[in-house]
Amino acid sequence: MAGTIHSASRKLWQTLSAIKTGVILLILVVIISAAGTVILQRPVTDADDMQRAYSPQMLRVLDALGLTDVFHAWWFLLLMTLVSLSIIAASIQRFPNAWRYFARPYKSPDETFRKALPTQAQIPIENEEAGLMAAERAFRRMRLGPERIVGENRFSLFGERNRISELAVYIVHASLLLIFLGGIVDGLWGWRGYVALTRGQQSGQVEAQNGTKHQLPFLIRCDGAGQENYADGSPKKWWSQLTVLEDGRDVLHKEIVVNEPLVYRGVRFYQASYGPTGKLDELVLAASLTSGTGEAKQIALTFDEPAQLDADTSVRMAEFIPDYVVRDGQVYTRSAQVENPAVHLIVESRKTGKTFNFWLPAIPGVEQNAASPYQFEAKDLKTGYFTGLEVSHEPGQWAVWTGVVLMGLGLGVVFYLVHMRFWIVPVHNARGQLVLWLGGTANKNREVFEERFQRLVEEIQVELKIKPEPCAPTHAASLAGV
Amino acid sequence: MARARAEQQPTATGTTLVVLVGLSVAFLLFMAFLNVVKSGNLLNESNLLYAALIFYAGAGALYLGFGVTGTPSYVRFASLATWVGLVANTGAVAHRWYEAGHPPFASIYEMLLSFVWTLAVLTLIAEKRFNVKVIGTVTMPVAIVGVVLMQLLRTDVHPLVPALQSTWLHVHVTLAMLAYAACALSFALAMMFLIQDGMKTETFLAATSLFGIATYAGVLTRFEKWGGLSLAAWDPKEKSEIFIAKGMRLFVVIPDLGWLMVLVLVAVGAPFALYLISRRNHDERLINIANNAVFVGILLQVLALAFFLLRARDGQYGSLDAEGFYATSLTASPFILSGLVGGIFVSLLYLLLLWRRQDLQRMLPNADELDRITYKTIAIAFPLLTLMIAAGAYWANRTWGSYWSWDPKETWAAITWLVYAGYLHMRITRGWRGRRAAYFAILGFGVVMFTFFGVTYLLPGMHAYA
Repeated sequence: MAGTIHSASRKLWQTLSAIKTGVILLILVVIISAAGTVILQRPVTDADDMQRAYSPQMLRVLDALGLTDVFHAWWFLLLMTLVSLSIIAASIQRFPNAWRYFARPYKSPDETFRKALPTQAQIPIENEEAGLMAAERAFRRMRLGPERIVGENRFSLFGERNRISELAVYIVHASLLLIFLGGIVDGLWGWRGYVALTRGQQSGQVEAQNGTKHQLPFLIRCDGAGQENYADGSPKKWWSQLTVLEDGRDVLHKEIVVNEPLVYRGVRFYQASYGPTGKLDELVLAASLTSGTGEAKQIALTFDEPAQLDADTSVRMAEFIPDYVVRDGQVYTRSAQVENPAVHLIVESRKTGKTFNFWLPAIPGVEQNAASPYQFEAKDLKTGYFTGLEVSHEPGQWAVWTGVVLMGLGLGVVFYLVHMRFWIVPVHNARGQLVLWLGGTANKNREVFEERFQRLVEEIQVELKIKPEPCAPTHAASLAGV
Repeated sequence: MARARAEQQPTATGTTLVVLVGLSVAFLLFMAFLNVVKSGNLLNESNLLYAALIFYAGAGALYLGFGVTGTPSYVRFASLATWVGLVANTGAVAHRWYEAGHPPFASIYEMLLSFVWTLAVLTLIAEKRFNVKVIGTVTMPVAIVGVVLMQLLRTDVHPLVPALQSTWLHVHVTLAMLAYAACALSFALAMMFLIQDGMKTETFLAATSLFGIATYAGVLTRFEKWGGLSLAAWDPKEKSEIFIAKGMRLFVVIPDLGWLMVLVLVAVGAPFALYLISRRNHDERLINIANNAVFVGILLQVLALAFFLLRARDGQYGSLDAEGFYATSLTASPFILSGLVGGIFVSLLYLLLLWRRQDLQRMLPNADELDRITYKTIAIAFPLLTLMIAAGAYWANRTWGSYWSWDPKETWAAITWLVYAGYLHMRITRGWRGRRAAYFAILGFGVVMFTFFGVTYLLPGMHAYA
């Protein structure tokens, strides 16, 4: 019984670590991602647009399959998990071999190895020690860090460079996993939301994307926001002055613009939008008595504060309609843009206990302007602007950035650092002559390596003060790898 | 052996082409000069771009001529023309940069400007450094299509919208341009590998025909009842497409153009059908007929292009969605136009292969060498792609507050990355060499092109700048 479980798990392991599995999974990821870009996705697309694009039955099927939110569907997460497992399994399976290569380099080549090595040369020498010394100097000059290896009855020489190249693939794989890890952490513990603030307003609550409220451990206040335009009227810059408050104290001020977020305690605030609230900030009015006597008075009205006109008459602002239309005796607004504004004031007389609806402009049917003890004239109208802030908390992003940097380095090493190894053994060749046998290999980029090898041979010959002989390097092309 | 073949070459063609190309370049420059004298401004962007176009076209013709005759002097003149074109192109880039106050990366037009520049530079590098002389035969037509597209897409200098005001824009886009140009180069090299590897000419015939079928089938998705072809309407005053609702463009129908496109589809599809039949029946004669059909196909394609140009350039057409008549413009249909031009180029390249295969093979580096260089270009492209995506993610994190939002452009960039990652894995761990690797490189470039153009125009998303 245990045996079957054992063999089943081994089989699973083999399947996971097979490159075929990896490729099939990657193809699946490609197909599904492509589908996710062609099918409209929620919540990026409005529900209305979704309904316009697909028939109800179609939409139901797509929704049920998770195809309208592919990248957050459980099966997509499962697929990504499988990809990660496959990368881990494949790396683990291949790692020991590469590690052996890395940790225990092959330093003293035996006879069979020497015969089979495709790139090798022989340089005649007079005595072993002088030859080795010369080779060592040449190695050093080529930055190969020569190492003397004690053999059974003689010395030999070993030098290499960029050994890390053997492990670089694992660096790249690890970095990819690190990026996935960051993504998972963000998926589980991160959140994104939105908060809109007007000038002077503060809030500690963010509306998350799924509609829930998220409470911040501090408050954020907007001290001002604005837009700057280019000469042609297109927007150049949106900015917001933000202040972070903790325990009622200001702890941080910053002006943010589109590419400059504010970061506090791992929560980042981005400038996302800017626009009119459609609400009135302040209304400046000239008020004069209906009876016509006395000076007109300037008053400034806000929503919160009623204004006292005289000892027993006050006025307050009840409604501001940015873009009004009248239908069936009711006043509606068409949009939030201040296009065609109307103001509803309520004039209250304490003496008589009467209230009057005063409309600016006078809208027949709803206004009682004539009955009001005061008449008003609008002088100035300051509408409010809001700044829309995207708020996000991404605790996993540091893993992502570390992964990205690591991957950049790893790929650089994988493609551009060549692991080259060179060996030198003093031997007697077939003719009985004492020679330095020189051999080398590289894990990629043969041309560069061969050029290097050639130079090494020349360097050694210079060190030995021998004129280069035409027959020096031999090269068995049939065995050449890459 | 090679020398024996060279001696069989007709000697008369030696200087003819150089002289012809030289004369036509001189003529075009003269015409352009007359135009300039009238307008009085010599070194503006459009003149420089026009000069670049002329010289690139000259270089393309000479590279083609080299492909056909193998006369070494053609390459010398071709690279000279490329150099001059590159100087003009550099001038255009610099002018745009100066005018806009930011590097030319902010719109699809500016991106194309930079892309063509990079492509020309890489062509010269490939020629001088790697000694792949005919590379211009493939890359110069791409550059020419790019410059022609630019003439249509030309936009006024727009100031940068707030989201684009970031150093990361330049990092991201420079990396993208370099990566994409390297991918384009690897594609050209992979094609040459297939030629050198002895892939049958019929197979290229089938591929050419399939490309034509795909192009015209794509165009015919706009086929309307009664043989019309619907094109996006264009408002010449506003210089923009006309929208009937948010994200919904107004289309006008050009009558009868649809039928012409159907005819061309049949003509370019015929060689593929003949190829399939000949494979089943082992009948070589059908291939000969198919080759003739390619020739007829080219003529029809030129005809279709001419009609398309004439009818889309001016005239008012009715629409199915709105009352009244509207204009359209070539600018409104850049994809159809580049598809039509691209189809002609591909067919011409096939004819070159058909007629001069042996000479081509003589001049190209051997298959192993090409295979190795293809790998090397991808080994350059892949890290660049990685860094491009990383820079984009970092920038998105600063602008949109999220480093990855599964936006179509992002997703397709990731798909491109995965395809090339697949190539590298198959090559390194499975030892894929030669044909299979070449197919992979070609597929990769297809995905790159879709990411670059297709996503911008076909899929909705936030990455709306380019």
